[in-house]
Amino acid sequence: MKILEIKNVHKIYNSSEVKVHAVNDISLDFEKGEFAAIVGPSGSGKTTLLNMIGGLDTPTEGEIMVDHTNLAGLKSSALIDFRMRNIGFVFQSYNLIPVLTAKENVEFIMSLQKWNKKEKDERTYELLKAVGLEDRINSRPSKLSGGQQQRVAVARALASKPKFVLADEPTANLDSKSTETLLDIMEELNKEEGITFIFSTHDARVVKKARRVITVEDGKVISDERKK
Amino acid sequence: MNNLKLAWRNLWRNRRRTLITSASIFFAVFFALVMRSLQLGSYDHMYKNAIESYTGYIQVQHKDFWDEKIVDNTFAYNQQLEQQLLADKNVEACIPRFESFALASNGPQTKGVLVMGVDPDKEIHLSNVKDKMVKYRLSPEAIEKIRQDPNLPEKVKELAILFENSAYTNNSRLQLDLGIDDKKASELMPAIEGHAAFKNGFIHLGEPGVWVGEKLSQYLQLGIGDTIVLISQGYHATTAAGKYEIKGIVKLPLPDIDNKIVYLPLDICQDLFNAEKNLTSLALAVDDNQDKAIAQTVQRISGLVSKDQKVMEWREMNEVMVSQMDADDKGGQIMLGILYLVIAFGVFGTVLMLTAERKREFGVLVAIGMQKKKLASIMTMEMLLIGLIGILAGALVASIVILYGVEHPLIFKGETAKIFEEYGMEPKMAFWNIDTYYIWQMVIVAFMVLLAIAYPLRKIFGMKVVNALRA
Repeated sequence: MKILEIKNVHKIYNSSEVKVHAVNDISLDFEKGEFAAIVGPSGSGKTTLLNMIGGLDTPTEGEIMVDHTNLAGLKSSALIDFRMRNIGFVFQSYNLIPVLTAKENVEFIMSLQKWNKKEKDERTYELLKAVGLEDRINSRPSKLSGGQQQRVAVARALASKPKFVLADEPTANLDSKSTETLLDIMEELNKEEGITFIFSTHDARVVKKARRVITVEDGKVISDERKK
Repeated sequence: MNNLKLAWRNLWRNRRRTLITSASIFFAVFFALVMRSLQLGSYDHMYKNAIESYTGYIQVQHKDFWDEKIVDNTFAYNQQLEQQLLADKNVEACIPRFESFALASNGPQTKGVLVMGVDPDKEIHLSNVKDKMVKYRLSPEAIEKIRQDPNLPEKVKELAILFENSAYTNNSRLQLDLGIDDKKASELMPAIEGHAAFKNGFIHLGEPGVWVGEKLSQYLQLGIGDTIVLISQGYHATTAAGKYEIKGIVKLPLPDIDNKIVYLPLDICQDLFNAEKNLTSLALAVDDNQDKAIAQTVQRISGLVSKDQKVMEWREMNEVMVSQMDADDKGGQIMLGILYLVIAFGVFGTVLMLTAERKREFGVLVAIGMQKKKLASIMTMEMLLIGLIGILAGALVASIVILYGVEHPLIFKGETAKIFEEYGMEPKMAFWNIDTYYIWQMVIVAFMVLLAIAYPLRKIFGMKVVNALRA
């Protein structure tokens, strides 16, 4: 079942002197349950592509359909709402809300969606347990290691049961052990709960775990390999 | 996690900055309120002094008297008019006066004085001169006796010297000015009363005798029982001359008046000026002295007076003082404006830093699904909370100072007191009680904080998430 369709997407940045074609006619489809990595050197356009998939940036040309909804057709506030309900984000620098505890960070999106307290508590515990942090639920981000913060960020991204999770260089700031733990957790969530993960990365360890590897260079897809 | 809770937690992310910003708002509110209270209190005090010592709130006069204060511009006492005036719902009493100028002398000393013919009993309703009669006078002789008194502590002796030649109308005023606390007062007052006792007497209609202002008595070197000579021009250019025994010394809060006033019984004064039963004014004591009530009363009684008379209210009769106060008020408001401006820049600086620091966080929040208006409401709450902490703390501390100040006005002594008196003011600064100005100062500061919020709100609503995430 297709959950994401990218059709002939272009992104052109017009600065005063040069025109940069950051994404050049990319078309891709993603099925539910994929564990995909978009790889490529710095400046290849992978983060721009990820931002457009997440509705954080708009394509200059082309269409992005998430679960048959064209993101370009949504107004600003509707797009924010759509993102909240359908797309999970994991950022390179974790970006947890520093004044909230791990539990409150995970609950945050559920609160925005006005879940009731019982549902929130159950889902939060379930997610923090899944990322191995059930004993740190009341810790603020400043009291957690980088790896632990990123695991909370993964739990937060999954909180609203999104269609897919976009992770932009999620392991870039982590040591090997934390990277290994994080990837194992995401892989397990993918396999057991069928959650779709799309990474942008140039970390070989992520590429190794990914079952689909899309290579981007100069804004174009130069290969799209699926592992068996 | 509701918005308020999140805003509150955000507030304490940078505890020091929040406290500094709140402190600047605190000081703005505190100084604005205390300054305003002192300003309004002082104006009120000066107005009351002028009104209650001299003009009253409303006067009925001969139509030309205010412009040309001569005894020919007087009017005959009319009992029917008095009855009609007294029938007005806001008029409490009619106080007849005969006012003119004269040369007063005692030996080689001569001075132009304001002669006021009054009905001493009726004056109780307005100027209440009886309460202004001097009870103690720290004359050089009295000071010498105090200095020689072995039972008095040195501090009291020093204070007494400082207040040499000063006069006091009551015990509490004497204690206040000499800085004697309640405990010591009960021990020391008998000694002060013993040395500085002052025999003062009342004047009555039909009995020749005068009260003179305390400062005038000092200038003319007159004491109780001495004789003052008055020479002036009487009604229809007759000569007015007389000599009168000084029955009492009065201390008026307006140094300008205190320096030149001589009170005579009304009928004696009319005789002096050969003015028969004429009056220069009928001063009215009123129940409600608010501006609106005064204006309405003036409007009502204007219909009662004859064509030769006119009704004047206290603002017209104290035009110079009102203009001075208005100018001072404007100056005060400019000072407050500068204070607000300084604080506004401080608050804006905080907002700028706060917004720049959290740009990426704003981006993340919107990326994961927080609506911009919700984010804006959290930011607004944060700033309002900072503002509220400062405003409420400032108002609370200012209230304590003001409520204390209302009961204990600032009284200046020594050289400072003399400077005040040189400008014709009582050396006293009163506080105005908590009133509508309180709300206004707080509203202005709150508005200033709200204005500063415009910047982050503009940033939030104009934010491009992808750019914010790169910050």
